[in-house]
Amino acid sequence: MATIETRYFGAVPEEVGLAIEFSAGLPAFEEERRFLAIEHPKTGPLILLQSMATRDLCFLALPVAAVDPAYRLQISTEDMKAIGIDESAISSGDKLAVLVFVVVGPDGHISANLMAPIVVNRENRRAVQAVRCDGVYAHNHSVFMPRESVAAEKTPCW
Amino acid sequence: MLVIRRRAGESVLIGDDIEIEVLDVAGTQVKIGISAPRDVLILRREVRVTAEQNELAARSLPFASLVGLLEKMKNSPQGPESPGDKGR
Repeated sequence: MATIETRYFGAVPEEVGLAIEFSAGLPAFEEERRFLAIEHPKTGPLILLQSMATRDLCFLALPVAAVDPAYRLQISTEDMKAIGIDESAISSGDKLAVLVFVVVGPDGHISANLMAPIVVNRENRRAVQAVRCDGVYAHNHSVFMPRESVAAEKTPCW
Repeated sequence: MLVIRRRAGESVLIGDDIEIEVLDVAGTQVKIGISAPRDVLILRREVRVTAEQNELAARSLPFASLVGLLEKMKNSPQGPESPGDKGR
């Protein structure tokens, strides 16, 4: 059984999360391709994206719907190709998990990057950070947890 | 900021070896062609901003702070959506 060294939980079996692959890495982390998405009751509503190569690299993410229930996904043809989906997957949404990275400022202010959501094809576990260029959403959107997402914490998004 | 008006088919030169040509203008979109040496990094601004945000996001919290953050999220009342655009 493969074990992964994690930032917050020490060594964990790979099975605790979903292994996803960014074929092009992430902006500023181009070499980091494989992450374990860990959704744990103790860390809900957060989803941890733990690098499988670098112990100390663990992003905090939220399902985009927890930040903005009305979020409308827009993704370039190139990014769709990278994770093997087409327009129909976007309109139905069933195949996809959409997460946003969370930044906690030194003052405790929490923001999420709605301009560049992490889009995961749950069927093949391929992922891409789909940077939008339409200027509709902010890269530093303030996060206030809506009550319903706290209540819905038990429903995994995978 | 230097502002120059150009039409489709016209270009501007930056230094000795960078040329930016306006290829097409349609509605609110402008298609530009950039000729530059291989070692010049060209990025859409959004990608640079995302790289910076990713750097910030990667500065992981110590475990105790993570627990504190979770508590805060669970207890925080639903606040007004702020524009969040201040940093643009």
